[in-house]
Amino acid sequence: MTTRPSPALIAIAALVYVFLVGPLVIVIGASLSDTTYLTFPPQGLSLRWFENIFEITAFRRTIVTSLQIAFLSTGLALLIGIPAAYALNRYRIQLPSWLSTVFVLPILVPEIVLGFSLLKSVAVGASFPIFVSLLIGHTLLVLPYCVRVISASLASFDFSIEEAAISLGSPPAKTFFTIVLPNVRAGVIAAFILAFITSINDVSTSLFLTGPGISTLPIQILAHVEQFFDPTIASVSVLLMFLTVAVMAIVERTLGLTFLAK
Amino acid sequence: MTNALYRSLAGAACVAALLAAAPATAQDKTLTISWWGFNGEKLNQFIVQPFQEKCGCTLVFETGNNADRLNKIKIRGGEGVDVAYFTDGFSQIGIEEGLFQPIDRSKVPNLAGLYEMAQAPQGEYGPAYTIGRVGIVYDSAKVNPPITKWADLWRDDLKSAVSLPGITTTAGPMVVMIAGEKAGTDPFENADPAFAEIEAIKPNVVKNYNTGSEMINLFSTGEITVSLAQDFALGQLKAAVPTVEWANLEDGAIATLNTVNIPKGSKNVELAHEFINFILSPEVQQATAENGVDAPVVTSVQLTPEQAKQWTYGKEMIDGLKRVDYSKLNAAKSDWIDRWNEIFGM
Amino acid sequence: MLKRYTGWTLALPATLLVTLFLVLPVAATIATTFADAKGVLAPYLAFFASGFRRTVLWRTLEISLATTAISLVLGFLTAYVVARAPGRMKSVLIIAAVFPLLTGVVVRSFAWLIILGKNGILNNVLVGIGVTDEPFSMLYTQGSVIVAMVYLFTPLMILTLVGVLENIPEDVLQASASLGASPSATFRQVVFPLAVPGLIVGAVLVFTGSFTSYATPQLLGGERQMMMGTFLYQRAMVNFDWVGASTIAAIMVVITVAVVLAMTRIAKRLNPMTT
Repeated sequence: MTTRPSPALIAIAALVYVFLVGPLVIVIGASLSDTTYLTFPPQGLSLRWFENIFEITAFRRTIVTSLQIAFLSTGLALLIGIPAAYALNRYRIQLPSWLSTVFVLPILVPEIVLGFSLLKSVAVGASFPIFVSLLIGHTLLVLPYCVRVISASLASFDFSIEEAAISLGSPPAKTFFTIVLPNVRAGVIAAFILAFITSINDVSTSLFLTGPGISTLPIQILAHVEQFFDPTIASVSVLLMFLTVAVMAIVERTLGLTFLAK
Repeated sequence: MTNALYRSLAGAACVAALLAAAPATAQDKTLTISWWGFNGEKLNQFIVQPFQEKCGCTLVFETGNNADRLNKIKIRGGEGVDVAYFTDGFSQIGIEEGLFQPIDRSKVPNLAGLYEMAQAPQGEYGPAYTIGRVGIVYDSAKVNPPITKWADLWRDDLKSAVSLPGITTTAGPMVVMIAGEKAGTDPFENADPAFAEIEAIKPNVVKNYNTGSEMINLFSTGEITVSLAQDFALGQLKAAVPTVEWANLEDGAIATLNTVNIPKGSKNVELAHEFINFILSPEVQQATAENGVDAPVVTSVQLTPEQAKQWTYGKEMIDGLKRVDYSKLNAAKSDWIDRWNEIFGM
Repeated sequence: MLKRYTGWTLALPATLLVTLFLVLPVAATIATTFADAKGVLAPYLAFFASGFRRTVLWRTLEISLATTAISLVLGFLTAYVVARAPGRMKSVLIIAAVFPLLTGVVVRSFAWLIILGKNGILNNVLVGIGVTDEPFSMLYTQGSVIVAMVYLFTPLMILTLVGVLENIPEDVLQASASLGASPSATFRQVVFPLAVPGLIVGAVLVFTGSFTSYATPQLLGGERQMMMGTFLYQRAMVNFDWVGASTIAAIMVVITVAVVLAMTRIAKRLNPMTT
């Protein structure tokens, strides 16, 4: 990856980043304001709205649930999604062409209808425990990202490398992990990030799948802002940004998916 | 190879730990309560802990907004919770859908100490445990002369200065009622004149808000100078815009009651009645009122003028409030929503 | 023999999950719309008979197509640059691109109030440099909804495309250049077709996401800019009319599937390797 793009292109990308990051300056500024209402520029600087997050029991309790669900659902979706993406590319002649649309269905259905249907048919109809129903809902929600993003990455992968390795005696499973997967690293990471964030932020699907004793952070935040209009919502967003960076750093370290290798 | 093996074992261990930390199932003698979920610490201090000690039971909560909690109770066939908190508009829907059971008033002796309005607002079903009001708030620095009646919302000098509550909020349908009164007709009988008035107020409206924080943001950034609000928002609104005032409406503000009900599928009916009686006791109501949780409906609660400022409090004020007939409102709501959509949404 | 079914074996768990827990439950919900006493298709005919509902549908289509087109262009150009960034820089850029997705919708709408509001930053600048005397009313218009949606979906597009663009081999580009192709020709005939599978995935994700979007149109458009997602929510949570809500959902699914199939067909024409 050594061809530098033209200066014009870099300028456009820079402008896009200004567009994306600009409003964040407002969010961060508002989270530090020493006022009881959202304002920008901040009036007085204080970390009290960050402290407030941890003082609210509802938030403390549900941060854990949200993280559990996000990790488990993303993990599950990757576990079943990567093989599916691989199959769509490597074994495309065996599979019908509409199969790829099946994996996109979860985002075609409006989320509250999905949550409602799961509650009715699965949680109530088939008496599944609440946590499991919530987990299934989230796994479905993030599956499209895991399948399609990785599949797109695999579309430009040269499978002859894999065939060469197999013909030289490497077992198929090992070849997958040592040859195929590392080459779609960026796709897997992008899928992981998108899936994790989608799950952590989700409201509409979770709305119906929470129950006594089980709720998620975004839903609690929504309930909170019905009564309290203070900058806590801004500080929660900033906290989530830090959390994401932390999660990505951990992913990079433990699973060895470093960018530096490329 | 061993590296990868080690990593996948670590990963599996993490997953196992995550699963093990998943919430345990409820134990026996549990009372399940459905409520909004904010103010957790104060409610824990004044209601949850004391009641748990008193009954030797555990309280478990289902939290969320009115609509999703009611929907969930409906899908579960009235089961899953023992005590359900709703605003009166929604508890009326619950009653009409046959989701609640009548309250055995002999088991709730504290009812006698309530304002009459709160004792049986919806017939044999749940009582109100707190009362609030919907009125007009305006920025006194920018609005002259001050607002003194509901009809002032239609004033010409308020072009592009007003935010109405969305039709899907608690206060939304009240706007239609007010419009009907202005037109001199009963909007439940014939909504045409009321909606003609709503069409007339449209030039004054910048945006209809759906959450309290939206309304406050609109005020604090100067997008609007007049709005309808519930009284609990006033304190926070004034912190953002100190010149905001609650309009002294000669034709009266509108009462909003929050109720507690027992769904028909409850497995702990006795305990549920005990809980309701508990939250209506003078001690609990005094504590929650003094500590900024809810306005009291028990007549014997005494508050200093300072404490009472933020609440709907006092016989005089409460008697002067307009009531909403929710059974009529719920019947008309679908039609009103469609017509409101056509005015604002086209 | 097993080799013939390897594809299915690998794709089976995901297929089962979607079928058992999505297709069947949602089909059961949508089935209720066909049970109306007034006739099998009654709720659907009623939907299309209403001027308001047709307006909502049309508006939603316009906004989501516009959002998809703009996000595609912005996302593609940005992803191209990010894919070619050196190691550490690339990680930072990818994570920075994702931050907009982490802002809650309430605080995001506040940020847009600050930027686009009557007393907002943009208006202050425009009035300050003399472009206009009166501040523009930029909020709660179709344009502001599109801006807010593009803000949300460009990161999605960038992330989807980075993986694809990374895999376009360097030597292919250099070969193209060495054979005399101009940069724009290389882009048109080499980079673009190779990126098509990713572009389609991105377009599908963005289109369906914006078409079914609820929170952003609610706070940034409100009732004046009602979209299918907000309308569905209103029907379900306020009218308690689940048959009506399911009707809207069914219409949304049909339209999004149609658009997705159309996009996929165009993509396959441009690059047959598309899945």
